[in-house]
Amino acid sequence: MTLAHYMTVSGLLFLIGIFGALTRRNIIGVLMSIELMFNAANLNLAAFDRFLHPAGAVGQTVAIFTMTVAAAEIVVGLALLLAIYRNTDTTYVEDFNLLKG
Amino acid sequence: MIEQIVFYSLSALVLLSALVVVLNRNTVHSSLFLGLSLAGVAGLFACLGADFLFAAQIMVYVSGIAVLVMFVVMLLGRASDLHLRQVNEFWMAALLICAIASAGLFKIARSYAGTVSTVEPSPSTRVIGKLFLGDFLVPFELVSLILLAALIGAVFFTHSERAEAAK
Repeated sequence: MTLAHYMTVSGLLFLIGIFGALTRRNIIGVLMSIELMFNAANLNLAAFDRFLHPAGAVGQTVAIFTMTVAAAEIVVGLALLLAIYRNTDTTYVEDFNLLKG
Repeated sequence: MIEQIVFYSLSALVLLSALVVVLNRNTVHSSLFLGLSLAGVAGLFACLGADFLFAAQIMVYVSGIAVLVMFVVMLLGRASDLHLRQVNEFWMAALLICAIASAGLFKIARSYAGTVSTVEPSPSTRVIGKLFLGDFLVPFELVSLILLAALIGAVFFTHSERAEAAK
């Protein structure tokens, strides 16, 4: 297995995530797509760490930080979603236009 | 040989279940396949010899985030959602953006086509722990602050409305 194999898989995963984040109507779907994009980035970090700098583990450490921030992001995102749902009674992003006037 | 079989089957698992996450109309099924896709990524971490990342992925993503998303989906979902389109009308533009981005991504990937790893993978947990309390000490402390902020934020956002309603 070469580095290009892992980069291809993580690139495809990232593109699927972008497509989902741009096209899903349900905000939970958007959050799930963003998680897929975070995972693609983590996979790339681990692959570069393994193939180009096998002596240290800096890439894996940065991937752990990414994971932590992703967990915090999804928790705050879902809490906000619950608060929005209580006010607007919908989970579809095109209905979140309270600030439109 | 066995490495190829494991890599290709895990990649197929990850990418196909990610496609189901994005394209499926039923959000509950989407969240289940999200867990499957994240577990596949954990398998790829194991292929790369990143043992600590493998364990963290299973603990944080598969058993934390995927379950949390599933919980919220079941809390907010309605039966009528199953008959609505889940993809908006801009999917052509999104496909175009993905095509343009893929040209750049795969051009970069092609330049690493000959890179093979020369050393055997070794356990990395000890090295990561030393980095956390050495070079990455300040980010490590900052990340704990972020987690605390997320905890307080989650409690704040979900609690304030209900307290007002009780008055």
